[in-house]
Formats: sequence, C-alpha cells, structure tokens
Amino acid sequence: MSIRVQRFPSAPPSAALAARAAAIVLALLVAGIILAGTGASPLKLAGQVIKATFGSSFGLEDVGLLVTPLILTGLSVAVAQRIGAWNIGGEGQFYAGAFAATGVALFIPGPSVVMLPLMFVAGAIGGALWILIPTLARAYADVNELITTLLLNFVATLLVYWVATGPWLDPGGQALATTARLPHDIPEFWGIVHWGFPLAVVITILVAAVLAFTRWGYEVRIAGSNPQAAKYAGMPFRRHLILVMLLSGAIAGIAGMFEVAGTVHRLQGGISNNFGYLGIMVAVLARGSALGVLAGAALMGIILNSGIILQTQGLNVSTVLAITGLILFFTAIGDELAHYRIIRTEPAKA
Amino acid sequence: MDLIAGLIQTSILAGGVLALAALGEVLAERVGVVNLGAEGLMALGAITGIATVVAIPNPALGFLCALLVGLIVGCVFAFVTVYIRANQVLCGLALTLMGTGLAATIGKAYSGMPAPATFAPIAIPYLSEIPVIGRGLFTQNILVYLIYIVLPIALHYLMFRTRHGLNMRALGENPAAADAAGIPVQKIRFWYVAAGSALAGGAGAYLTLAFVPSWSEGVVAGRGWIAVSLVIFAGYRPLNAVGAALLFGLITSLGFVGQARNWPIAAPVLSMLPYLGTIAFIIVPVVAWQRMRRIMAAPAALGEPYYRDVR
Repeated sequence: MSIRVQRFPSAPPSAALAARAAAIVLALLVAGIILAGTGASPLKLAGQVIKATFGSSFGLEDVGLLVTPLILTGLSVAVAQRIGAWNIGGEGQFYAGAFAATGVALFIPGPSVVMLPLMFVAGAIGGALWILIPTLARAYADVNELITTLLLNFVATLLVYWVATGPWLDPGGQALATTARLPHDIPEFWGIVHWGFPLAVVITILVAAVLAFTRWGYEVRIAGSNPQAAKYAGMPFRRHLILVMLLSGAIAGIAGMFEVAGTVHRLQGGISNNFGYLGIMVAVLARGSALGVLAGAALMGIILNSGIILQTQGLNVSTVLAITGLILFFTAIGDELAHYRIIRTEPAKA
Repeated sequence: MDLIAGLIQTSILAGGVLALAALGEVLAERVGVVNLGAEGLMALGAITGIATVVAIPNPALGFLCALLVGLIVGCVFAFVTVYIRANQVLCGLALTLMGTGLAATIGKAYSGMPAPATFAPIAIPYLSEIPVIGRGLFTQNILVYLIYIVLPIALHYLMFRTRHGLNMRALGENPAAADAAGIPVQKIRFWYVAAGSALAGGAGAYLTLAFVPSWSEGVVAGRGWIAVSLVIFAGYRPLNAVGAALLFGLITSLGFVGQARNWPIAAPVLSMLPYLGTIAFIIVPVVAWQRMRRIMAAPAALGEPYYRDVR
C-alpha cells in the first residue's frame, strides 16, 4: 500500500471551511506576534476587544452598524462572481449610491415615508449607473471589468469629496467638508442599529433565493461556471452578464444609501470607510454563497469593530486593512491546498 | 513657451512612476502571472524609501532598499502564486490590502515630512539649454533616464531578441509546451514575478524620493492600478508601456497646470483625469479597432497556474 497526495478538481466544502478558519487564526496569530514585537500585549488587547464587543449590548450594536454595509458590499461581489465577473468597484458604487440618495434627499422636498423609498431607489440606480460602463465594455468588447470597476472607485471618491466640500457644502457652515444633515433618517430598529440591517438580511435572502430557485438563477450559475456551455445551450450569456453586473452595482449602491441615511446622516469624503474593499473579503470568506455572505459580514464586522476599539491603543484603520489582507492571503492559500487529498492506493496484484 | 517647457518636464517626471511599475508588471504578466499587488508593493516601496533616507540621507540607498523590499515581498507572492498555485487575483488583492495597510501604519511617523534627501535633477550640459524642449528632456533626475531609456530598451532586447526571452514569453502563452521543451516553468516564473515586484517597490520610492517628494497616507493613489491598466493598453510590450506611461504623465501634469493656472475646474475634478483617461484608453482602442484585440492580446495563459499533471 502506498500513500500519496493528489489534487482534485474541486475542494470539499468542509475542507474549504477549515481552510478559512485556519486562515483567520493564522492571520490573527501573525498580527499578534507583530504586535508583541512592538511591545504591546496581544492577549490583553484581545481581552479588551472581547469585553468591549460582547460585554454589552452597545458593543453588539456597534458591530451591527458595521455589518449592515458589509452584508451588501459582500453580496455585491458574490453576485457578480456567480457569473464569473469581478466587481472590485463596490467602493465606487457605494459612493455613487450615497451620492444619489443624498441628492434626492437634499433637493426634493417630501415626507420621509415617500422620500426614504425614493432615496433607496436612487441609491440602487446610482450604484448601477456607476458600473454601467465597465459592464458594457465587458459585455461587448471583453474589456477586463476588474480594472475598470476598480479605477472608478477613485473617481467616485473624488466626486463625493468634491461635492461635499464644494457645491453641496453645508450652507449652515457648522460642519466642515460635509453636506447639510439629511432631512430623512432610516428609523432605528434595535438600539442604534437602523432598519437597514434587517433589510440587508432580507435582500440577501431574496437574492439567494432568486439565484437558487429560479430559471434565471440557474442560467446565471451555468453561465458563470461554463460560459461556452451556456452559449451552446442557447442561454443569452451577454444579457445575463449585463443584468447580474448591474444588480451587483445596485446592491453596493443600496449599501451607500443605508450608510448615509441610517448611520452618518451627512455625505462626506471617506464615508465608505473601505466597506467596498472589505466586501471583497466578505464574498471570498463566503465562497460565493449568497447566504454565506451573512456569516462573512458578521466576522468582518467584528474585526473592523476591534480595530476601532483598539484605536486608542495606537492601532488604526490601516492596521485592520493590513490584517484583512493577511486573512485574504492565507484564505487564498488554504483554498488551493483544500484541493489536495491524501489517498491510499493498493498496488495492483500481478 | 514656459508653459510647454514646464508641461514636458512634469509629464516626464510624473510618468516615470507609472513607467517603472508598468515595466515590472510586464515582466510578471509575460510569464503568465497577474500581479494585482502592484499598488501595495508601491506603498511599501514608498515608505521604505522615505524611512531609509530619514535614517541615512542618501536617495540611491533609499531606492535600493525599496527595490529590495519589493523583491522580498515579491518572492513571497511568487512562491504562493507559482509554487503553491493559489488564486492570483485573490493573492494580488491581498497583497494590495496588506501593503497599503502596513505602509500606512508604519507611515504615521513620517506623514507630511518632506524627504530629507531626494533625487535632484541633473542638467546635461548644452542639451539642457535647447529652447522649449531642453529643460524638460535634459534636466531630470538620474532615475528618469534609467526608467525611460536604459530599462525599457534592455527589457525589449531581452524579451524579443534573445532565446531566453522567447522561452520567457512561451511560459505566458503555453506553459505545457514550454515544459515539454525543457524550460523550467516555475523557476523562471518565480524570478520574473519577484523581479517585477522589485520594480514596483522601486516605483514607490521614486514617488517619495523624486516626484512628490514626501510621504502621506494614500500617496500611491491608485497608481499601481493605473500601471496594471497601462500594461493592457501597451499590449504587454515594454517600449509601449513606457510610451503609455508618458502619455499618462501628460494627463496628470495637465491637472497640475490647471490647478496652478486657476482653471475654472475644481481640483478634485482635475484629479479624476488620470483615472478617467485610463478607463478610456483601455476601452476605446478595442472598441474602435477590432484588429487591435488580436495584436495587443494578453498572453494566452495569463492568470492560469500551471499543473504539470492536470490537463
């Protein structure tokens, strides 16, 4: 009998899950060792984080507030991945959604009951419009959407920074570099967590259901795993691609609308807080599963919140970004290693 | 006249960052590996450059250290993508997040401090006195001449005029055939990806030691991604890449001129130009000239890890 390692074309879900858990533990371990090297005590910091996060309902509310946009930006990336597209532009679509919702709120008068749904629609349209050019370029000229969506992030960031410091600057003049306070708030749902949170969960479940149980969802899945087969089977690949990418942009745009109308209440530069980039992380942790996004977002929310808690200890948002990158790096390695299995082979008897 | 002279000088200076990073990306992509970590490598190079000259005020040393950091991090990236064969897109994004985050964390202490030693422009005698173009072309720092002339010509010769270059390009087109011909696929991939990463690190140091020249969070500002896009626009050719970088230097410097001359356009809007320009330049050519798609096509095996035993 001999033992050897063989690579299989697909990784079993249990191995992929184990790879993710190992990646997170490893990344936190590496971060802890580096922190210890700078003289901090990682165990003490970890204790502080756990106490501040789970010790009170305030801590959990903070996490809930961070999880809301992460669910949607994660879902946005996961949806695009279903058809094999990389939407790295969640950050830009988030800004575009927040921008469009703010524009509607500031310049159209009306009662909140009407205005909030209108802002929601505006956010979705803003996000979808922001991905329109990369979508058409990919669909009709096969231009790599990964790079075009990403480059538009910088444009959106500048656009929001510009309107918040220039044309839409708060005329009241109390706040620097932000627009006036929006007249409409998404009402609170639990503590400081607004109704955007349950809505984000509902949207995720809806999208998951559509992808899992409808003919359209089935065709999208086929088109994502084998475009050639989908085309031969007569599925309208291009139409599906365009719709899925626009949906992906719209979801990220809704995240922006929730953030500006539920959490921040003013449009300002940096409002996205890297949620778009962290959404990539959420989708990767979720392994493309729409429901897995909820778990991935919860985890990323806790990590992001830890970074905010530790800000007083000399850590900052950039450190969290670096640790996130480390998790992603180990996850990518783990995902590949999960394809290998040790197999035993009996030598053939002569 | 003064405007044109200034424009030429700034364009060349600004394009240098992109040219160096793009040359690094050409190396990696020609052997079949997409390195989306360019942005993170540049951030690491940028902070390494500034941290080095703060300790020892010698810009050449700062640049070398940035190359070295790029090489070391590039070796890790290359090992993971070439030997372990992990997903290149994910690893690249991870590298960008790690590099940007780590550089910003380290950079807190150096933020806003002007570089104590920089690459100063050297005026070449006589040539720099040519009216209009002389100052722009011949009063530049030493890196500019390396990046625009020495490096691209050397790489072009290596890639298109030597047997080794043919082998190297074969890895990007058909690694299985190259393997069958006895070319060590993974070894060559590993070293070119690492070398390309070193150049990206150097591009970061160019930013903080010659172009800006100081460190601030977000100093890289998407230039790594623009460099990746330029490589597509340049059809994966070193000489084209440098030309494209120069074009983008021009777009960037138009923004500067606009701000300096008080054009009635807001500064953030002018700052959008390079990104919008990049998007236009990778979309318009393939739409306008269908033939370009074939001529400028990416290496056929780009982004695909090579498994000898899996077909």
